Amino acid sequence: MQVFAQAFWAPKAGNNDSEYEDAFWPGKPLHGEATCFRFAVADGATETSYSRIWAKQLVRYFCKSRPDAAFIGEGLRDLQQRWSTIVRKRPLPWYAEEKIRLGAFASILGVVLYDDVRCDGHHGKWEAIALGDSCLVQMRGEEVLARFPLDNSASFTNRPHLLSSNPAHNNRVLEHLRRIEGTWQPDDAFYLMTDALACWFMREVEEGRMPWIFLRDLDTSGEVKPFPEWVEGLRIEKAIRNDDVTLLRVDIT
Amino acid sequence: MTYTAEISRANPSCFLFLIDQSGSMADPFGVGESNRRKADGVADAINRLLQNLVIKCAKEEGIRDYYHVGVVGYGDQVGPAFSRSLAGRELVPVSEIGNMPDRVEERTKKVDDGAGGLVDQSIRFPIWFDPVAKGGTPMCKALSGAHSILQGWLAQHLACFPPIVINISDGEATDGDPSGAADDIRKLSSNDGEVLLFNLHLSSQRASPIEFPDSEADLPDQFAQLLFRMSSPLPSYIRSIAQQEGYKVSEGSRGFVFNADIVAVIRFLDIGTRPSDLR
Repeated sequence: MQVFAQAFWAPKAGNNDSEYEDAFWPGKPLHGEATCFRFAVADGATETSYSRIWAKQLVRYFCKSRPDAAFIGEGLRDLQQRWSTIVRKRPLPWYAEEKIRLGAFASILGVVLYDDVRCDGHHGKWEAIALGDSCLVQMRGEEVLARFPLDNSASFTNRPHLLSSNPAHNNRVLEHLRRIEGTWQPDDAFYLMTDALACWFMREVEEGRMPWIFLRDLDTSGEVKPFPEWVEGLRIEKAIRNDDVTLLRVDIT
Repeated sequence: MTYTAEISRANPSCFLFLIDQSGSMADPFGVGESNRRKADGVADAINRLLQNLVIKCAKEEGIRDYYHVGVVGYGDQVGPAFSRSLAGRELVPVSEIGNMPDRVEERTKKVDDGAGGLVDQSIRFPIWFDPVAKGGTPMCKALSGAHSILQGWLAQHLACFPPIVINISDGEATDGDPSGAADDIRKLSSNDGEVLLFNLHLSSQRASPIEFPDSEADLPDQFAQLLFRMSSPLPSYIRSIAQQEGYKVSEGSRGFVFNADIVAVIRFLDIGTRPSDLR
């Protein structure tokens, strides 16, 4: 299977790039051939501290450490300990300590694409896991084949289930981990989006428009506007919530 | 649409607390911790509230100034109630509040260990206020003072999420009828809506609190009815927070609690100060 994967992102209006708290993997555009690829996006919660570090750890863990489908257990525990070590490197004021005690929170969406060996690398399967409201869309031509884990714009609330760097907060949350699988064929595209963009995408589809056209054309000769400018326009029209915005576009070529 | 402005560092909002520090605040709460002085309970609640606001605004690089916060005490004197390095300041950016508590105490808290047990954890507990209970109840003067503080703030923050004023008292004003001064506060507005004035009546009676009533009919005395009329109707975003917390509210509900015990004080402050759209 050959894929081309590229991420597009913008921090929330009023924040600078260093305050962007989403994360994606791979961190750089990827153009390659293999029998298996892993991709992930995560959305660090605004009201928690060090959530950018936590979101980055989660996408890296999903893609590099190749956890089993359950995505829980020792690996997650190690990740939490590493987070705690990183953020406690220096003495902190009382409020920062309290914030660390509360933990960082993030959504996570991970996708694995596999070749089907019987099909000579031209067809295959995919699996995804999600906790929270970062969403996956599978496109085939002009058809939306899959929307996961949320499938409509009304499902986005201000209180998604998020994975915490504090183990005490994850006891019940892991019950909300969702899984899905499907098949892919050449020229399919997968869009991994954090919540603001995913909500916009689904509303556009519900209202009979074709939001994938803009996403498909990004960084091609058909591009209308660079991603951050386009997002800014949507915010001005109030078509999208002011939040960090991330798209990881995966094209099977 | 009102009460929808985003709260950000470029467009902060504001909380102003008016705290009754009259002599009767030395009396105990009527319900629950019956030996607890009302002044102690309120000081504790305000310290916890400030702590929560600071934590809400804290990020790894420091505290983001989403809010400016003021506390006006009224009793023997009327004026800003911050002490030491914040003394005399009317509205203080939340970062300065977080970095300049009067003192930080060490306390122990039981926390979930993530494996089904509880462990003792030492936490640092900042204190800004100590209880005061002395003199009369010059509520009119406190409300007029709040009006001029907010007028100045609004002139510089035209597009802000409207300021919220929370008046905490256990008795009748001793300097006249406060309803005119309360009306003046509620008439102030930003482009996003009118200033919200909430009233919290503390109780020494052994009776359950009446929270967010939508009519004065069930309130037992003239003073409670006056405080009800002085209070802003709850905007829909606060109504939905209150509903999520299990309160029965209607479109006519006002930001008023009668006969509040310490639990009601803490819950009311939490609901009244929860941000709608913090960025």
